[in-house]
Amino acid sequence: MGLAGYLGKRAVRLVLSLIAVSMLTFTLLQLAPGNFADLQRVNSGATNFGGVGTESMVGELESRYGADVPVWKQYLIFMKGAVVWDFGPSYKYASRNVQDIIAEAFPVSATLALLAVLLALLIAVPIGVFAALRQNTKTDHATMFAVTLGHALPSYLTAAFMILLFSATLKLLPSGGWNGPEDLILPVLALSLGPAAVLARYVRSSMLETLREEYVTAALAKGGPRRTVIIRHALRNSLIPLVTVAGPLLAALMTGTVFVEALLRIPGLGLYFANAAASRDMPLLMGTAMFFALILMVTNLVVDLIYGLLDPRIRTVGGGSHDGH
Amino acid sequence: MTATEGVEAVVGSLSTGEPEPMERGTTARGPWSPAWSRFRKHRLAFGSLIFCALLILTAIAAPLIAPYGYEETDIQHKLAGPGSPGHLLGTDLLGRDILSRLIYGLQTALTVAFGAELTALVLALAIGLLAGYLGGRVESLLMAFTDVMYAFPSYLFAVVMVTVLGRSIFALVVAIGIASWVTQARLVRAQVMTLKEREYVEAARSMGAKGSTIAIRYILPNAIGPILVTTSFAIPAAIAAEAGLALLGLGVQPPTPSWGAMISEGSRYLLAAPHMLVAPAVLFALTLLAFTWIGDGVRDAFDPSGEQR
Repeated sequence: MGLAGYLGKRAVRLVLSLIAVSMLTFTLLQLAPGNFADLQRVNSGATNFGGVGTESMVGELESRYGADVPVWKQYLIFMKGAVVWDFGPSYKYASRNVQDIIAEAFPVSATLALLAVLLALLIAVPIGVFAALRQNTKTDHATMFAVTLGHALPSYLTAAFMILLFSATLKLLPSGGWNGPEDLILPVLALSLGPAAVLARYVRSSMLETLREEYVTAALAKGGPRRTVIIRHALRNSLIPLVTVAGPLLAALMTGTVFVEALLRIPGLGLYFANAAASRDMPLLMGTAMFFALILMVTNLVVDLIYGLLDPRIRTVGGGSHDGH
Repeated sequence: MTATEGVEAVVGSLSTGEPEPMERGTTARGPWSPAWSRFRKHRLAFGSLIFCALLILTAIAAPLIAPYGYEETDIQHKLAGPGSPGHLLGTDLLGRDILSRLIYGLQTALTVAFGAELTALVLALAIGLLAGYLGGRVESLLMAFTDVMYAFPSYLFAVVMVTVLGRSIFALVVAIGIASWVTQARLVRAQVMTLKEREYVEAARSMGAKGSTIAIRYILPNAIGPILVTTSFAIPAAIAAEAGLALLGLGVQPPTPSWGAMISEGSRYLLAAPHMLVAPAVLFALTLLAFTWIGDGVRDAFDPSGEQR
């Protein structure tokens, strides 16, 4: 099967999965109790008995957002808009369209995610190599212990410890907000430690494997300087599989910055998504969910393609290989 | 029986320093006994197990252990620092005792985590066994569903589920449980696929055992090791998921305490009252680490050669 055929097959799967995700989300959200109008009434304090929005207000909102037509029609209207990248206006931010909110907030999350993955690589590669070269020594065990710590703690907890240290105790960095470049430091650092731990473990085992390869032994036997052999022969080859790990990590981070965003009050897309869920802002919720799913699937596809380019052995196996992992 | 003896032989030869014949006379059967003795030698994991057992006991006996109720306010002593009389870890903005709220928060965290993982495990076992054993339509359905769920980040799914079900313990159990069963179901299926080709299963089948008997009596017990390993890593993940949802304002309904909500509150009053953040953050971190180390121990116990690492 050629590359075009493979791409076509993956594209079809991607579209089908997106449709499935949209139907699942849409159906589930139809079952959600309470609606935006009711919540608005409750929150603005103008509640009547039972905390229900007044008839006229609900009616007005419903006709404005097309909620007075049958459910299947609502879904089709939503999908018709989604195809041309138009999700309609948000309930909560009534003057703005969902796609504009996504366009404004996603770059914030994406910046955090990209910087965090880069930093994670910068931390993980030297640590992994270092631990591999000292396999089974005390240094190796200590490093791997630190890696376990980084792996076990979620990013928002790391962020909490960091604001305790850098903001409350040392008073060096702001404890949140989004005003200047200094606001990037804590979230990026907190987000990078988990992925760094995963990557470091991977680099270590991959490095240990390549160090045992015959071409490394041969290069050393020929009298090549140890440092050159390690960097040129061992490291370069053990970094190839790293793409398969770093890619999904990036995808997970693109959608996973939300907790750190919530803790540090950063206006990223994840925060909009969580707020949309809390306030029943259905268009925003649907739009962001679809967008996140799309990002995740596209990143996975790109990773598979890059991996195929780097390692020709996979290309010859053909299209079915992605089921293996 | 051959499979069991094989495991014992491997474990026996690997156990450090013990003379070989020791394993001979023991009546140990199944993968449990050697796994347990390996687990006990893992000092960090064993210590963590004791710590987590204490945590579970504390959560069960919360009303007896907590000095105050989680809603009880001490208006005279709002934002009291740690070590102040009557409040070991201080009080929060409303004058509620932080130690008590931590203990009740532990109850929330463990109830949600164990409930969710039990749900996930039952779903995964049922569907994974069916898919792996029957193949065919069940299998392609599972795989199709898995593809969709892989495209759906699990926290996104959990957020949508909590939106649908409301902010209760039950909703969190269902949301987190359903978001995490897919990986496990795939694992069960893979296990079953390999195990059903084994000789002892073939032998049972040739002697006329029914499909259900083979699945439950012969395949399930031998698939349990890897399943236990993923489950024990899933518990800390579920604890973190509960706290994360609470951080987003989608956890249990206040005033029921949750560590995530306490961390979120603490970060807002960081400068005035850092103790509001320190206490939940430290206890949360210790709990997660302890459960993760148990997972490490379980993995090493069932997989002495380190294949899954």
